[in-house]
This record gives sequence, structure tokens and C-alpha cells, in this order.
Amino acid sequence: MASLFVTGMSHRTAPLEVREQLALEEDKVRQILGDLSGRGLLTEVMILSTCNRVEVYGVAEVPGEARSAAFSLLGAQRGLRLPDLEALLYTRTEEDAVLHVFRVAASLDSMVLGEPQILGQVKDAFALAQSSSTVGPLLHTLMTQAFNVAKKVRTETEIGRLAVSVSFAAVELARKIFGSLEGKSVLLVGAGEMGELAARHLVDQGSLPVYVTNRTRSRAEELARALAGTAVPFDQLDASMESVDIVITSTAAPEPIIRAAEVQRAMHARRSRPLFFIDIAVPRNVEAAVNGLPNVFCYDVDDLRGVVESNLRERQREAQRAEALVQREVERFAERLKDLEVVPTIVSLREKLEAVRRAEVDRALARLPNADAETRRIIEALSEAIINKVLHAPTVKLRDSSRQGHGPRWIELISELFGLRGGGKPERRE
Amino acid sequence: MNAVLFDVALTAYIVAAISAVGSLFGRREQLSRFTLLLTQAGWICHTCAILARGVELHRLPILTLAEVVSVVIWAAVLFELWVERHSEIRVLGAFVLPVVLALGLGLPTGLRSLAFEPQTQSGWVVVHVSLLLVGLAALILNFGGALMYLLQDRQLKAKHPGAIYYRLPSLEALDRLTLTTLAVAFPFLTVGLALGMVSAGHGWGNRLLFDPLALFSIVMWLVYAAMLSGRALGHWRGRRAAYFAIAGFFALLLTLGAGVLFQGRHGS
Repeated sequence: MASLFVTGMSHRTAPLEVREQLALEEDKVRQILGDLSGRGLLTEVMILSTCNRVEVYGVAEVPGEARSAAFSLLGAQRGLRLPDLEALLYTRTEEDAVLHVFRVAASLDSMVLGEPQILGQVKDAFALAQSSSTVGPLLHTLMTQAFNVAKKVRTETEIGRLAVSVSFAAVELARKIFGSLEGKSVLLVGAGEMGELAARHLVDQGSLPVYVTNRTRSRAEELARALAGTAVPFDQLDASMESVDIVITSTAAPEPIIRAAEVQRAMHARRSRPLFFIDIAVPRNVEAAVNGLPNVFCYDVDDLRGVVESNLRERQREAQRAEALVQREVERFAERLKDLEVVPTIVSLREKLEAVRRAEVDRALARLPNADAETRRIIEALSEAIINKVLHAPTVKLRDSSRQGHGPRWIELISELFGLRGGGKPERRE
Repeated sequence: MNAVLFDVALTAYIVAAISAVGSLFGRREQLSRFTLLLTQAGWICHTCAILARGVELHRLPILTLAEVVSVVIWAAVLFELWVERHSEIRVLGAFVLPVVLALGLGLPTGLRSLAFEPQTQSGWVVVHVSLLLVGLAALILNFGGALMYLLQDRQLKAKHPGAIYYRLPSLEALDRLTLTTLAVAFPFLTVGLALGMVSAGHGWGNRLLFDPLALFSIVMWLVYAAMLSGRALGHWRGRRAAYFAIAGFFALLLTLGAGVLFQGRHGS
């Protein structure tokens, strides 16, 4: 009986030097997929190859052989020998394989917990295998379910919702202060790279108007062009604070350029509308006392890092909920898999009995030329009732036994007993 | 019958309040759903209790102080459910339900005694009370919103986001909640109090001045009037507005307290 397996290496088992060599381009992967399925070791196969993991998902009689074949082919692309790779590989089969695939797709096995790219990469790998015709019913069912589970994890937990980079943490804080960022504007002071990045993230949230100021006028204009914003003379910094909502500072000034007194004046002019300072400069550009003013919030780089850390802890807590969710889905899927195993036998058993019934009913009716419609209907119904009653016990027995892990034995037994051809595969009838 | 129904409703509110506060820290979807269900169930029981009282007494059940408070918290829970459904403010229950309980726990005795009968059933009094009901219910939400605002403001200032930071909505949303509830409450409060004065002026003459509840309600009105004009002029938003909302709510509690403690013309 062919079984589902996962084999490969990830950031948990293999160093970057090896992973980066095995991160292959599409054409190579396609070629290997073709080679592998040509050898007859695997009935279904797909390859996931990203910079953090190289994994083969497949269905094979002997997963061990399939694994050796797959990784000697993969390694050969970069001159790596199988024995060197063996130690880095893990293999999971059946339910453990399902769990692994679900966890990978849901980003629970990612380096950055909950990062969103992995799902797209898994989908691409699946599409590539589909276009290479190496996907069969089992992988198809598995992957479709994996995508559903990943989506469920994303919507039912907050695992992917919290920022894990400093610049996105700034955007998130802005949202906690202003709600929707629509109608808000940004002032970028200084030309530091981090500042520009944070400004860009903010602007991307809803094409917020952005103003740029710098001691060097030409630099401000240059940056304003890059951000599709407006350059503002440096001496108008204080006046600008009256109208914008978010101020990002990243100048190389040795001491604060924004003082609490000026901010207080600006707040008066703003009628106390909230003002958010993102101070990415080191040393800091905004006086610490600014954060003490009502409706003013000031975060420096360390504060933002602190928020990122809290977010990561929060993601971990959410991950525990996600793990429980995935576990439930695996159990449900395992039931389905086992049902899947006995379905062909049940179908062919039914077809077999139906063929017998049809033939016998036709013969009987041929001998009753004067039978009226009512009689014919009764004969049909009677014969159908008989085969349904006969089928009931073996169908239930098959399903139960497969759920208890004895599926193959019963499939064989019933196929023998009822003379089903092809060991449980549906009979082809013309 | 109405007292039993009210007890059931109150019990549901108690459990819902505990569960709401729990889900504020615990981040459990099931707990939030449970809270919502219980609140809804409690509210339906409460509705039945009010109707049953009206039927049993053959009059509008908003004429004694206990009855009024009961209907105020009934309306507050209704508003809370509405806001939670129609905005991003999902955890409002954790702040409104405890207030509802604080007001509601003293009620059963008042509701059970059927002996005290209201002095008047005039149409004006009914309108006076109904308008105030809506205003007071909105002010309970105003208070809840202000509490949430101050908590979130502290979280953002302290820069150490905790569970509450993740669960509470944005400051902007909370500020909008306090402003909207105030803007809704104030006209009801103003007209309601004015009607009360006019009808009391007719009935009581200058004895109005010696009714503690009436006096305190004027103080409360002044606080809210100051707050609304401060906001309208622009400067009182955010934290300051939240402080005022809390001050206003204490004036409101004192007003109700005065109605209970001192035997003025409003009775208890």
C-alpha cells in the first residue's frame, strides 16, 4: 500500500550553506519532478524549494527509497553527495506527514513565525508539480486541505497580524493611535535610510501625503521626488508640526532638534489633535520629554524594538492556538484519508452487485411481458432494497476497520470474497 | 414574576461581565462568543422583566427610581451590543457590564417592593424620565469609552504593549465613541432635565431647589455641558476629554446616589 510521506531539510536541520545550494530554480525542479516520477518509485510527488527549506512531498510504496532518489537528484545539481545530505534530512509519513505539511503551509514551522510568504511558495510548488503532471488524488486532497488550514489559521488567530520589523511596528502603532490612516500626513525629517523606509511603509498604507525636510535643501528635494512627496524648508519644521500627524526623524544631529516647548506650541495650534513621533535617529532627534505631553506619542528605535519583541511573544502565544487548530484539522484529515482508502472498494462492490441486479431484473421482466408499471416498479424496488441491505454490513465494516487501521486487510478480504477485479480498484465497464 | 426575571437577567450580566473581563486578557475567541451570547440572553430576560412589571402593575414601569435605573441599564446593554456589532470596538462589554452591575445590583430590593407607588403619572413626567433614560444609558457608554481610552493611552505612552494593548481598538476609535455618546446623550439630558424643571416648577414651586436629586443632576449637566463645549471649541480631546467623561460620570453616580439616600420629592 503506497503511503504519504514528507522528506527534506529546513532551517531547523540544515545550515544556510547547504540550503542555499539546494534552492533550485523552477526549470531544474520541473526536470527533477519528471525524472522522479519516471523511475516509478513514487506515484505522486511535489518539491518545495525555498531558501529556508527543501522538501519533497510524495506518495510511495517505500518512502526511504523515494527519499534517497529525490535527494541524490537534488544534490547532484550542485555536486552534493547523498551521504553528506542524509544527516540533515528528516522524513515523516502518514499522519505525521500531514501534520508537517499543514504546519509548513500555516507558517508554524517558519523561521519568522507567521510570515506570509511561505503559503505562496507552497502554492507555487504545488502548481509546478501540477503542471508537470506529478500530482495525483492524494497530494491534491492534501494540498487543498493544507491551503484551507493555512487560511483558517490566518483568520482565526492573530499569528500573522503583528509587525515583526521596526518599520512595520511604526505603521502598526500609527494605526493604534489614528485608526485608519486615511487623511493623515507624514513629515520626514532627515535623510536616513531607516527613516525613508518607515515613511515608505506609511505612505503605502493609503498614499498618505508626505513632506520631506532636510538641512540640505537639495537632499530634501531628491528624497521628496523619490517618495512622491513635497520638500519643505528646514526652518519651517515647527510650522509643519502643526499640520502633519506623523513625524519621522532620522537626522545625524548630535542633539535633539525637536524640543518639548515647540511641540507644546504646535499642539496648541493643532487643537490637541494627536501627534506621533517616530524617532529613528541615534542619538535621538526628539527630546524625551515630548512623550510626556498629552496626546503626543514618541517612539525611538529602542521603543520600536521593544514593540517588535512584544509582538513576537504575542505571535508565539497565538501560535499555540494555531497548533491546536492544526492538530484538530490533521485528525479530521486522517479520518478522510482512511475513508479515501476504502472508497474504491465500496464503489466497485456496489457496482458489482448493481450489475448482477440489473441483469437479473431484466431477465425476470423479460419473462413477465404482461407486467404493468406498478409490478415493474415493485420488482425494481425489491431488488434495490436487497442489494442495499446486503451492502450495508460490509460498507460499515470497511469504514470502521480502516479507521482502526486495518483497512488493507479488509479491502483484500472483501475483494476476494466478492471477486472484485484489481484488488479494490473500480471495475471498468463499457 | 418580574423580579425573578430580573434576577435571572442580572445573573447573566454578572457571568457575562466576568467572562468579558477574562476575554480582555485571555484572548479566547470562545470566551468572547460566550460573553456575547450571555449578554444577549440577559438582555432578553431583562426586556421580559420590564414588560412583566408593566403588565403586573398596569402602568409604565419607569416611575420609581429603581425602575428607572433598571431601564437605564437595559438601554445601556442594548447600546453596547449595537456598538460592538457596528464598530471595531469589540471589548466594550468588559467596561460597560461592570458599570451595569454596579448600578443593577442594588435594584432587586427596590423592584420587589411593590408597596411604594409613584406620586405622579402625568404625561410630562413620563417624557421627562424617558428622555433622561436614553441620555443616561449613552453616558454609561461614554464612561466605558473614556476608561478604554485612558488604558490604551497609558499603554501607548508606556511603550510596553501588554494584552490590553492588542485587544483595545485605536485611540481614534475610542475618542470617537466618547464624542458620539456625549453628542447623543446631551440633547436628551438637556431636554429631559428642562422638562423635569418645568413640570416640577408647576407642581412643587420653589421646593425644587431643595430636592437633592434635582440639584445634583444640575451639577452633572454642567460638567457634561462644559465637556461638550470644550470639545466643540476644539481643545478638549483625547486624554483630557476622557478625564472629563469620568468626572461627569461620577456626578451622575452622585445624582443617583442622592436620589437613593435623601428622601427628596423623587422618592426612592
